[in-house]
Amino acid sequence: MKIQVLFGTESGNAEVAAEDLAQSVRNDGQEVEVQDLSSFSIAELQHDSMYVFLCSTYGEGDLPNTALPFYADLSVVRPDLSGMRYAMFGLGDTFYTETYGHGATKLDDKLTELGAQRVGKIGRYDASTWEPVGECAVAWFAGVLEDVSAVRWLQRIGQHGLDPAA
Amino acid sequence: MDTPLSIAVIGSGPSGCYIAQSLRRSFPQSEITIYDRLASPYGLVRYGVAPDHQSTKSIQSQFARLFEREDVRFAGNIEVGRDISLDQLRNAHNIVVLAAGLPEDRTVGVPGENLPEVYRAGRLTRLFNAHPLEQTGVPNLGKSVAIIGGGNVSIDVLRMLIKQPEDFVNSDIDDAVLADYVRAPAGRIDFICRSTITNAPSDPVMLSELGRIRGVRFSCSDPIDVAEDAPRAALARAKAVAGLLEIDPGTETRVEVALHFGWAPVSINGDGHVRNVELRSVNDVRPNLHLDADSVVTAVGFDYDSGDWHGLGALKANLETGVMDLGLYRTGWIKRGSRGTIAENRSCAKAVAEEIVAGVDTLKQQTKPGYGGLPEEVRARAIDYSAWKRVDSAETDAAPADRSRRKFPSHEHMVAIAHNNFVQTSAGPGAN
Repeated sequence: MKIQVLFGTESGNAEVAAEDLAQSVRNDGQEVEVQDLSSFSIAELQHDSMYVFLCSTYGEGDLPNTALPFYADLSVVRPDLSGMRYAMFGLGDTFYTETYGHGATKLDDKLTELGAQRVGKIGRYDASTWEPVGECAVAWFAGVLEDVSAVRWLQRIGQHGLDPAA
Repeated sequence: MDTPLSIAVIGSGPSGCYIAQSLRRSFPQSEITIYDRLASPYGLVRYGVAPDHQSTKSIQSQFARLFEREDVRFAGNIEVGRDISLDQLRNAHNIVVLAAGLPEDRTVGVPGENLPEVYRAGRLTRLFNAHPLEQTGVPNLGKSVAIIGGGNVSIDVLRMLIKQPEDFVNSDIDDAVLADYVRAPAGRIDFICRSTITNAPSDPVMLSELGRIRGVRFSCSDPIDVAEDAPRAALARAKAVAGLLEIDPGTETRVEVALHFGWAPVSINGDGHVRNVELRSVNDVRPNLHLDADSVVTAVGFDYDSGDWHGLGALKANLETGVMDLGLYRTGWIKRGSRGTIAENRSCAKAVAEEIVAGVDTLKQQTKPGYGGLPEEVRARAIDYSAWKRVDSAETDAAPADRSRRKFPSHEHMVAIAHNNFVQTSAGPGAN
């Protein structure tokens, strides 16, 4: 299954994070594609793909300008996203206390509302830490993949029970 | 085999770094050099963003990838017009992009602006940021300062003037400058914004940040309510100001800050020295205000150098195109004028890069030598990225415990460290 990495950025940091994350996934032999949300249409969303969103926050807790058309399309067209799975990584700056990371949260709420299922926790990157954003995203995604495996394992248990013969 | 396309970017601030990023994606095989007159990269990020806004400065780590991973050359300590002419650069490169920002503070345009105690925000920001080419010495601001301008730079200046040294933890402020200032700090500051709160150009979070500084009492005699259906930024701004007005430091008050919204300066008055500032109300009929002031700081944006720009005449903003001549482009503030945040230079750079891509077939026809074609003595004085990293480490090593770095305020000193010519004396680095 291909992993589709989509980023929404104002300053370029989310793009850097997306590229590093994609490179690390590619190094693990996984097929992956990176796209800017500004050039991605909601018509391209596939139910059986795994999406990774990396999204910053701008202005008064808004999505970055490059991600606004995508978000607006989701809100207006309201496609049924049941079956779609995604992970979410938010970039922000705790200097903006009241709106920290709101961009990713808004996008996450919208995707969930439309039936998509998030895997793992929302990743968070705080620019005020000066940590390399790429490394932070890569570490987060490794955790998400572990969660995904755990979920699959639990599902298998749910289906087959704990019968050692299963 | 084709010789690679060679690209020169003049200026290593945000607009220069963003255009290099875009051009590297468009032309993976090209030779890209970013020139800067300073020994350090990052321009405004290092010297324009306030020293206590380290999270804004963290964009540097994105730009550093250009030099560390994307094969972009840094050539510092080279000033176009002094060490090399623009024509020489154009002869050596297929593409030259001006990304030098805007050097001058815009004037307010009122009588009295030339009085000796009228200072420009750019000078103060560079001073607190230890800019190596800024004239030294803290100007005499006196007890009472009027700041003209209501944008984020104006708030930066206000914040520098009302903070105490302990409020600068983890910053890279020039502590010598700060110590000089806090010996006789301002006791009253008037912050004068032409727009009403609804339309003010400041980020609300910049205003609310002021409330975290101890010992400051804020006042505002103008209406601070905004319409319920006002933009969210306006509502947030009104809330931020209301929050400031609730603060009562009581007997711990060190400084009074009077906020004025909807007032425009009429004149700066004084007989040889600043005595007061006269304001008129912009939207309604109220009698003019006269505010006593020992000094004035103007923060009303930045402007083009009025002189001839390397034979190109006086530059003006152009929102349509970054094309200046065959193979000559511009991006960032030097293209659009001083508007917008750091991030807006990214979309500006993308648009200019598209114009460059569209014109590249013609530009490729000529074979240009690139950086290697510059005169030997120019390349000898250049500070490359690894040389800059020596300065970077030295600054970080010299940082006091509660500062992120100690910037060296001398260009010669930085150059000496970069070129490894520096023999450390007992005075230690930074002595100058």
